[in-house]
Amino acid sequence: MKKWFAAALLLLAVGYTIYGLSTLTLVTSSGRPAAGFFPLMIGVLLVLSCAVNLWRDVREWTTEKQTGAFAPHKPDPEAEAKADAFGVDAHAIDGGPEYARDVVIVFVYICGFVALLKPVGALMAMVLFMLAFLFTFNRAHVVGNVVYSLALPGFLYGLFKVLLNASLPTGPLGF
Amino acid sequence: MLADFVSNLSLGLSIAASPEGFLFLVIGAFLGMIVGLFPGFGPAAGIAVLIPMTFGLEPTIAIIMLAGIYYGSMYGGTITSILINTPGESATVASTIDGYPLAQKGRAGPALVMQAIASFFGGTVGVILITALAPSLANFAASFGPSEYFLIIALGLLMLTTMMGDNKFKGFISALIGFAVGTVGVDVMSGQQRYTFGSPELIGGVYFVAVAIGLFGIGELLYCIFCGQHRQPAKRLRISFRDKEFWPSKKDYQESRFTFWRGSAIGFIAGVLPGSGATLGSIIGYSVEKKVAKDPEKFGKGEMRGLVAPEAANNAASAGAMVPLISLGIPGSGATAVLLGAFLMWGLQPGPLLIVNDPGFVWGLIASMYLGNMILVTMSIFAIPLFVKFLDIPYVNVVPVIVLLCVIGAFAINASIVETWILVISGLIGFAMKKYGYSPAATVLALVLGSMAEETFLQTYIISQGTMSLFWERPVSLVLFIIVLAVLLAPVLIAALGHARQSKDTLKRETG
Repeated sequence: MKKWFAAALLLLAVGYTIYGLSTLTLVTSSGRPAAGFFPLMIGVLLVLSCAVNLWRDVREWTTEKQTGAFAPHKPDPEAEAKADAFGVDAHAIDGGPEYARDVVIVFVYICGFVALLKPVGALMAMVLFMLAFLFTFNRAHVVGNVVYSLALPGFLYGLFKVLLNASLPTGPLGF
Repeated sequence: MLADFVSNLSLGLSIAASPEGFLFLVIGAFLGMIVGLFPGFGPAAGIAVLIPMTFGLEPTIAIIMLAGIYYGSMYGGTITSILINTPGESATVASTIDGYPLAQKGRAGPALVMQAIASFFGGTVGVILITALAPSLANFAASFGPSEYFLIIALGLLMLTTMMGDNKFKGFISALIGFAVGTVGVDVMSGQQRYTFGSPELIGGVYFVAVAIGLFGIGELLYCIFCGQHRQPAKRLRISFRDKEFWPSKKDYQESRFTFWRGSAIGFIAGVLPGSGATLGSIIGYSVEKKVAKDPEKFGKGEMRGLVAPEAANNAASAGAMVPLISLGIPGSGATAVLLGAFLMWGLQPGPLLIVNDPGFVWGLIASMYLGNMILVTMSIFAIPLFVKFLDIPYVNVVPVIVLLCVIGAFAINASIVETWILVISGLIGFAMKKYGYSPAATVLALVLGSMAEETFLQTYIISQGTMSLFWERPVSLVLFIIVLAVLLAPVLIAALGHARQSKDTLKRETG
């Protein structure tokens, strides 16, 4: 996936530069830099560095493939904790357990939550998100999940809407 | 001089010690301790996620609370470093080296108390130095032109990416991404719209808070889920300050008496330097302490000085990082970049003129840091059992709190669903960045400083008629330019020297 992310970045960088070139003025009539000057500089640097980055990641992937470095390793929790704190991908060190499926599920739930904000209102969207999340990952505690799914959104809704007077979307029921 | 110091500080104390100021300082410090406790959730994420909760507050009070979260997390992060060998955030990694072995030896209590005292010492020394240095630096910076500002921004970003070791190239790309996102909106010089795709919501640019909450909050959260933190059971730990073994011995204090000073001095210098910050400060603090020790073999096996040095250093560094933020308006780390964003959100323009134009804010913030450190040392010692109890909460129950705060917070800023979707997309990108070795901190820093970088770069370009000679014609610019070049070229030169030495050795072996 690393190389695909690098490829996506390169694609975005190319798109950013081409779009900038085609829509923005680079230099004014008096020869001064215009609105497109800085974005063009950034765009060119981005395209070049993303291209080198992609080349490096593909080379790394090919080497790993040839040397068979993809084989699963034994997890080392201590190394993972330290690597994690340093902001390094701990799993690249020991191939410890990865929960990509859970990430996808949570991300889909978050998207659903945001999509429901306007149609059903903030409070209901929060409750639905919490129920979905807790009943997926914490199934053993049914009563606790329901109470928590009502209490936390209620508290946050009160905090933002009443105390902080923030503008939150309201649903058909008025909250 | 002394009279100025006293009058400035009394002005600050009158604001920070007001009932409202004190209340939100305590709330900020408390939240900061909790933010520090949870691994993978650093001060940048904490501040970003909690910014929306400061709505409705007066700007100075809001920033006092956010700053409390910032340095409070340094105190909280060490608790897990000592007790479970898992640093709450990167600045407390060095504290695990001797902190955890101390706990294993049955000295968790003394270690927790000494870290609190070292944090207090470092933080207080840092704030005293801010009080002394920030006004002088602001005076000095008043003469800075666009070339100096551009070079300081470039230096900050370079240092931040250099810190990333093998991943510094990805750090460079991360910064460019931040600059690119920063160009969305209306160009301030010509008024032309850029990358808005006709959307009125993008005319004002991509709002940094949504991006910061997404990259740091949702991104970190998804990464923690990827690592399976939500499937781990809670850690049940118990600690009580009534235990006989809870308090440090006289020997602990005596052996560490110089360590407090050394750690604080090193940390403060590291904090003031753009881009380096508390993580580097704590690591250097630890290394120096080990080097100057007569018994370095004790380090790593539960030596109190090995805990005191990084703790004093990371707190002094977090105070030091406020110096360029307040006096130049240039943050040196992800967390201070988010703080700068909060400054701008509240209509405050950090820079040399901030102390002159808004002394109440600057001195209120500085005074709050004195008070904050006192509150935190008290909390860190007497409320340790309470904070340890937070570790009882399984991560699966923490996830919804973070998601709800992020989404509702991002929406509440401008009641914009577009910004909420920007948060979601930034979260996904933040997760990928963390997973593949990019730097979300560099992206946020570049995003926050993007418009300033563009403006100062173009001004330098126009004034020097396209030659950029302003970079080496002005004395301060020249010094900064040389430093930037050195930071850029040093790794290349070191690598080249290494290669040359290696080939020389190979040649020698082959001929010999």
